[in-house]
Amino acid sequence: MAKATTVLDRIALLGRAGLDVLAAMGRSVVFLFLAIAGRASFGNRLQLLMQQLYSVGVLSLAIIVVSGVFIGMVLALQGYSILSDYGSEQAVGQMVALTLLRELGPVVTALLFAGRAGSALTAEIGNMKSTEQLSSLEMIGVDPLKYVIAPRLWAGFISMPLLACIFSVVGIWGGSMVAVEWLGVFEGSFWSNMQNSVDFYDDVLNGVIKSVVFAVVVTWIAVFQGYDCEPTSEGISRATTRTVVHASLAVLGLDFILTALMFGDY
Amino acid sequence: MATDARNAVELKGVSFRRGERFIFNNVDIAIPRGKVTGIMGPSGCGKTTLLRLIGAQLRAESGEIWVDGSNLPSLARTELFDLRKRMGVLFQSGALFTDLSVFENVAFPLRVHTQLPDDMIRDIVLLKLQAVGLRGAIDLMPDELSGGMKRRVALARAIALDPQILLYDEPFVGQDPIAMGVLVRLIRLLNDALGITSIVVSHDLAETASIADYIYVVGDSQVLGHGTPDELMASDNPRIKQFMQGSPDGPVPFHFPANKLADDLLGGVRG
Repeated sequence: MAKATTVLDRIALLGRAGLDVLAAMGRSVVFLFLAIAGRASFGNRLQLLMQQLYSVGVLSLAIIVVSGVFIGMVLALQGYSILSDYGSEQAVGQMVALTLLRELGPVVTALLFAGRAGSALTAEIGNMKSTEQLSSLEMIGVDPLKYVIAPRLWAGFISMPLLACIFSVVGIWGGSMVAVEWLGVFEGSFWSNMQNSVDFYDDVLNGVIKSVVFAVVVTWIAVFQGYDCEPTSEGISRATTRTVVHASLAVLGLDFILTALMFGDY
Repeated sequence: MATDARNAVELKGVSFRRGERFIFNNVDIAIPRGKVTGIMGPSGCGKTTLLRLIGAQLRAESGEIWVDGSNLPSLARTELFDLRKRMGVLFQSGALFTDLSVFENVAFPLRVHTQLPDDMIRDIVLLKLQAVGLRGAIDLMPDELSGGMKRRVALARAIALDPQILLYDEPFVGQDPIAMGVLVRLIRLLNDALGITSIVVSHDLAETASIADYIYVVGDSQVLGHGTPDELMASDNPRIKQFMQGSPDGPVPFHFPANKLADDLLGGVRG
């Protein structure tokens, strides 16, 4: 590529980069449509989905559970130290539950999922591309978008909301351990405050909706980056990095928009 | 424009570019049905690109590519996948599925495209592996095989569905002399016994010439010449002569296009 020497060259480079980004976005939409729309011709779709649910979902359980417990414990500690200044430490259960269900459950799960499962998906698909496995699937007459991509997409869409629920549940349990067992908040008020303040539609369901949106975005970015990467070691490594960076930024940006839409009508 | 039924594959006025560089410029190639056709040429002349054009993994900039009576650029995605079931490709690296055993790799096309019972699939896989001499490796994983063995397993997989057209991408690279001899015979045998059309892309002159019925020599984004191996050996065309005799001096340059060596050496810092 010619070196940018003049201002005009730099503007041209900027334009080229912009066009490249737009082209990639277009490709990713076509990619998602072709992978999801229509039926596949082979018979073992359920088995493929199960395999991916295991590697994408079940294998992410450990990091989700451990992080959930610790985040719940930290929330309880921080919440207690602030709330006890006002003598309202009984509200710590309410604070932990609402924070987890509305925000941290979906968001932190999505970030962890992008790092744990998203990067693995990108690297795996990129490697399949560089070793011509995707090409050979095509030449066997099997559409890799249906055989490789679709089960991974659905596995991500299904498992991330479930992981987010698990994250919130173990987080609340971690919070109760710290608040009730360790700091001595009265157990009855811890749980009844939580029960009174958490609304199923406003809090639980909105959290699940957030998590479904994040699941689609993170998994889509991860598999597309793998499929679209340059099939070299350097290309795969760049694509894996892009997955984590783009997915994390998309999750945080979307979280703001979704929160504004869901809870912003004060 | 219809295609000649005697040809399994026909390229008419095909052009393909990578960036500004023409890989093929208005190329015509006809692959006769039921024969072994060699596509030869120096490294980097676009032989693998040609295979990918025939398999519709790359789209030509212009021209028609007829495969088994269908014009590839006009096919819908699903029709294309149906057509590919009638083609087998042996990739240069083998491209085995790394998470499946040798048995499962060869059984894969049968499992996804047929409703055959398991014991019949097992028999077919055993026969295909027997043909490439690797029946004993049936339970191994791809990472336990040498490069040459991987390619033979890939060949067994490529012929699992008894395709009508078989494309070989550099099948002789990295084979030991015994495996090479077996492979050369096998390509000929499969072609004659199954009545398929074989396209062998290679730069191994002796092996390709020994099995091919017809050879195309490509280079310089053109077809330099074509004919039976004997005709090409006797050709007066200096480019074909140079390639067939493997001489370093001649009209086909050994070097990739570049500035003069002295200019590059004295030109100081790159950029």
